[in-house]
Amino acid sequence: MKIVIGEGSCGIAAGAGKLYNALEKLNDGGFSLGITGCIGMCFLEPIADIYDDGDRLVKRLVRLTPEDAPRIALAVKNGDMDSLSDLEITADDASFLEKQTRIALRHCGVIDPEDIDSYISDDGYKALEKVLREYTPEQVIEEIKISGLAGRGGAGFPTWFKWDAARNAEGDEKFLICNADEGDPGAFMDRAVIESDPHSLIEGMLIAAYAIGAHKAFVYVRAEYPLAILRLKNAIKDAEARNIVGKNILGSGFDLELRIKAGAGAFVCGEETALIESLEGSRGMPRLKPPFPAQKGYINKPSNINNVETFANVAWIILNGGAAFSAMGTETSKGTKVFALTGKIRRGGLVEIPMGRTLRDVIFDIGGGIRDDKKFKAVQMGGPSGGCIPGELLDTVIDYKALTATGAIMGSGGMVVMDENTCMVNMAKFFLDFTTKESCGKCVPCRIGTKRMYELLDRITKGEGEPEDIDKLEELCSGVKDGALCGLGQTAPNPVLTTIRYFRDEYEAHINEKRCPANECAALRRYRIEAELCRGCTLCARECPVQAISGDVRQAHEIDADKCIKCGMCVKSCKFGAVFCE
Amino acid sequence: MSEMINIKINGVPVQARAGETVLNAAVSAGIEIPNLCYMRSLAPYGACGMCVVETSVSPKLMRACSATVSEGMEINTESERVLKARKLVLELMMGDHDGDCVAPCVLNCPAHTNCQKYLAEIADGDYDTAMETIREKITLPASIGRVCPHPCETACRRQHVEEPISICFLKGFAADSVYKNRLPVPKTEKPTGKSVGIIGGGPAGLTAAYQLAKSGHSVVIYDKMPKAGGMLRYGIPEYRLPKAVLDREIEVVTAMGVEIRTNCEIGKDIDFEQVRKSHDAVLVANGAWQSMALRCPGEDLEGVFGGIDFLREVALGGKPAIGRKTAIVGGGNTAMDACRTAVRLGAEEVSIIYRRTRAEMPAEDIEIEEAEEEGVIFRFLTNPAEILGKDGRVTGVKLQVMKLGEPDERGRRAPVPVEGEFIELPLDSIIIAAGQKNDPAGFDALPKTQKGTVAADEHFFTTSLEGVFAAGDVTNRGAGIAVEAIAEANAAAKAIDAYLLGMELTYKEPVLSRREVENIDFTVYEKRARAVMPQRAAAERRNDFKEINLGFSEDTARAEAARCLKCGCHDYGDCRLIKYADQYDTDCKKFSGDFHTRFTETALRVIERNQNKCILCNLCVRTCENEAKKGILGLVGRGFDTVIKPEFKGIDIETVCRDCLKCADACPTGALKIICDDK
Repeated sequence: MKIVIGEGSCGIAAGAGKLYNALEKLNDGGFSLGITGCIGMCFLEPIADIYDDGDRLVKRLVRLTPEDAPRIALAVKNGDMDSLSDLEITADDASFLEKQTRIALRHCGVIDPEDIDSYISDDGYKALEKVLREYTPEQVIEEIKISGLAGRGGAGFPTWFKWDAARNAEGDEKFLICNADEGDPGAFMDRAVIESDPHSLIEGMLIAAYAIGAHKAFVYVRAEYPLAILRLKNAIKDAEARNIVGKNILGSGFDLELRIKAGAGAFVCGEETALIESLEGSRGMPRLKPPFPAQKGYINKPSNINNVETFANVAWIILNGGAAFSAMGTETSKGTKVFALTGKIRRGGLVEIPMGRTLRDVIFDIGGGIRDDKKFKAVQMGGPSGGCIPGELLDTVIDYKALTATGAIMGSGGMVVMDENTCMVNMAKFFLDFTTKESCGKCVPCRIGTKRMYELLDRITKGEGEPEDIDKLEELCSGVKDGALCGLGQTAPNPVLTTIRYFRDEYEAHINEKRCPANECAALRRYRIEAELCRGCTLCARECPVQAISGDVRQAHEIDADKCIKCGMCVKSCKFGAVFCE
Repeated sequence: MSEMINIKINGVPVQARAGETVLNAAVSAGIEIPNLCYMRSLAPYGACGMCVVETSVSPKLMRACSATVSEGMEINTESERVLKARKLVLELMMGDHDGDCVAPCVLNCPAHTNCQKYLAEIADGDYDTAMETIREKITLPASIGRVCPHPCETACRRQHVEEPISICFLKGFAADSVYKNRLPVPKTEKPTGKSVGIIGGGPAGLTAAYQLAKSGHSVVIYDKMPKAGGMLRYGIPEYRLPKAVLDREIEVVTAMGVEIRTNCEIGKDIDFEQVRKSHDAVLVANGAWQSMALRCPGEDLEGVFGGIDFLREVALGGKPAIGRKTAIVGGGNTAMDACRTAVRLGAEEVSIIYRRTRAEMPAEDIEIEEAEEEGVIFRFLTNPAEILGKDGRVTGVKLQVMKLGEPDERGRRAPVPVEGEFIELPLDSIIIAAGQKNDPAGFDALPKTQKGTVAADEHFFTTSLEGVFAAGDVTNRGAGIAVEAIAEANAAAKAIDAYLLGMELTYKEPVLSRREVENIDFTVYEKRARAVMPQRAAAERRNDFKEINLGFSEDTARAEAARCLKCGCHDYGDCRLIKYADQYDTDCKKFSGDFHTRFTETALRVIERNQNKCILCNLCVRTCENEAKKGILGLVGRGFDTVIKPEFKGIDIETVCRDCLKCADACPTGALKIICDDK
């Protein structure tokens, strides 16, 4: 019997490391202990999978604590699986995975990311062998073209086209770069892939490098992903030891040197030209395009940049054929897409589904709907570059074109779900705060424009908005979209534009009625004591830090709105539910 | 030679070299595309967003500095979308630009005299240059430098440190310093053969005469009084403006070839039509010489004088019979001049009757103080109800007691009578200084405003009569201060000059960047008290008409001028940012908000870097790196608060930067300033 603990960053954060240590101490040889990467069910971490000796998954235990270790060890030793049934995943939760189609995530939570043999035994590096033996670079590009694979980093540009351009670009030296500078708040697909399946990234990159004719490649990973960097570094070392990376790979005559570059800690370094600047050692600021990286990229030589998830699909496509990939999806969007489902969702985690399914499928069918039986309000897609999609558009299919039509974007796969208690103006402000801080400061529209948008949103949420502010915001949005130098600035207005488009009434309530319909904006909250319910216990008056509450003992109390600082202590302290916030 | 291809710019087919940028192709075709971060010798950077154009090859706006032309490409450099995008970036830059293009003193001077410049010249001891700077706008600097209520000082930023600069008196000082040695007659252009008739030889008429004569036109001034000078001569007492000073300034005008026909009144001595026929253009600038009446009973009694009539009579050498006790009605500067003149004429009791309180008095504080020193009694919150008399002569005045009512929309509290409360004040005479108006007699042909003033265009001072212009107190709003009349005369002279040369003039309010006082840190300045004008003692001066101010010493004047904070931007004339902001009618405050990190530093020693005005075009950084090969400068921080700072890497900054200065030349705004530290 084997116990496998999910040790992605998410699992470790939830306590998987402690669970592993506890089990290791208890292990007197009665079972073997292993790790795997992210299983994708963050809401159930830590997770332990129990395999029988035939490598068959017999039990998936969830929400474990180190205190569960003795029971688990005992049960495994005794073969008494039934004693663990209270720890076992429910059928309902298990459906979270069952309803998915995993290609990019095919090894995640299955193999041991720290063991190259674990990868190899699950068809690992077979695609590379096949390509090196049987395919010309052109044939590789053709296969990718058939698959319809598009850039998973957000832009959705056809992958074959970029490879072809880089292959045909004039230059004696070409570079391949993997963009693993995953920066959208709420997005963690790339981290999960690198932490859980680093070799599939390496294999995808080897195939791509072979296709475009590059002999040097970089993985630009966020420095904030130490575990990913560690596992990738070890994976490259292991691959080099097996002659999978390096000179004369697998005797084919093809060379590739693969290096890791830890990111500079700036969101904008996820923008490809800024990434190149950073890779060269300069301040991460976008370059003018054209020239595009395919003509003049890293050190002004032809370069191709793809995202982690894009590379993770490549080996599967080679092994199963481009047609198998393109059989999934819609007319314009092929294959599957990974989403990081977060926010007010019941089952948050990684979801990979074929294109063409609806948002409702992901959020309600797989994600289980909204936590605490609240009402769904909107889903933010594409992080700060994306937009929100309201309830009435839940049946929108997942497809580059269809999502763009809503004002949001496919993006890299961040899906932040919001419920009725989320103020959409405040949400837009959150994202603008992010882009303002992450703007590199180079171009005027982004540097000053996003700041002014943030300031307008800030004053609206503070109840200081003016009727013309919505028009001003819209003017800024269209100007920044049109005038910003790079994707960060050009897409920064999207959260504002979509919230105005779908939730204009919330903006108007803040501005005209000085009211926050979701009751989230502290400055606009009004506290009130319901005289009928108040027993005059004086507790709230004593708790109030600014003495804004007055009243005699056993008499109904009152709040002086002018003094109130809206801290909410009165609501928290009242034992009779007599204080209301509205 | 590279291959030529065909493109279209704004619909016009032109040829361009394959592979060149849209910006260069446009320049070759004679089309300007604005830009702030581009320099031909450096790689395109793309920060400012000014050079955007629409093209047939992309749905996005493209930056002309980096986009290259391709065969058949169609480029639009001035589509609505392009102009909107440029205007927005300008509005964003200006909203984050904490600088004064022009100093507040200059802006607040009706004539926009370049105070900052002449103060610097005075501080340098270069009075001749200062005089010329002043006379670009104020042609009677010794006179105005004595009597002007100086709106410049009202706006002076130095007051937030301690007190405003004594700008007005410094102007007078500079002029006196020059007049002391020579008569500074400016060079005139060669004669144009055109002639201008100017009606009225006051500040407006003399100013226009000076400017027009300088432009080479022949000028004749028609003045009804025995001598030119207008209200400066006949409305302002000798003790404030000695007439010898004024004579010297008029001498300059006549030395320039201007003919002054005195004792020549329109409608009496010569007809308006006759003047029109004798000249190619006419300027009506005959002022406002009639005292306004109070409209209370008894105004026709003997011993009732109009304020300016009284002053004129004294100026002409008369001694009006005001008796022992007199009172002046009014709270303006004319009232102050009249009461102090009455003191000097020997009246034993001189009162000011004013219906509001001291705080509301329009007269200048210094004038009020000086009048008090000279023994004038102020009777606030009183208003004549009736002038009392016996046998047709004034014997006193019945005063209604007033109180201040509620403030009106402008915040001024209107006086209201206290029911039934009156005071009687025995008097021998009463002087009504309640304002003045123009006399329309002789100018029937000229259309008037509702107020009865001559209607003139506000910018060009044309009237509805061909070739007839009007400026000064006689026009539109009526009587004002001398420097306002001078400002109008300058503009009118420009318009007349253009008219005579057959050119068309346009007027547009220039777009300017202006700092808000609350955004300025005044604590960095060391406090240095304002220079006090030395004066004769009150007891002495009240007995005669000799000038009461003794004038600054040279040391005092230079030290005072050196207090100037130099608010206006050194680069205003060359600044490309403000040039575009003006061209695109930018609303500088539309997108104002927080400012980015602001500071001024002189780490480069010979260059002062003012981050307040930096637009992060990065030209200095790139010039230093690519042209000077030094790479001293770099970007620090992120986003909105990104700033440029030097890092020396062991370089001898003193020598390297002194010999280079390329960054300062490259700066499109006034953020970089070359400072000579050897001075």
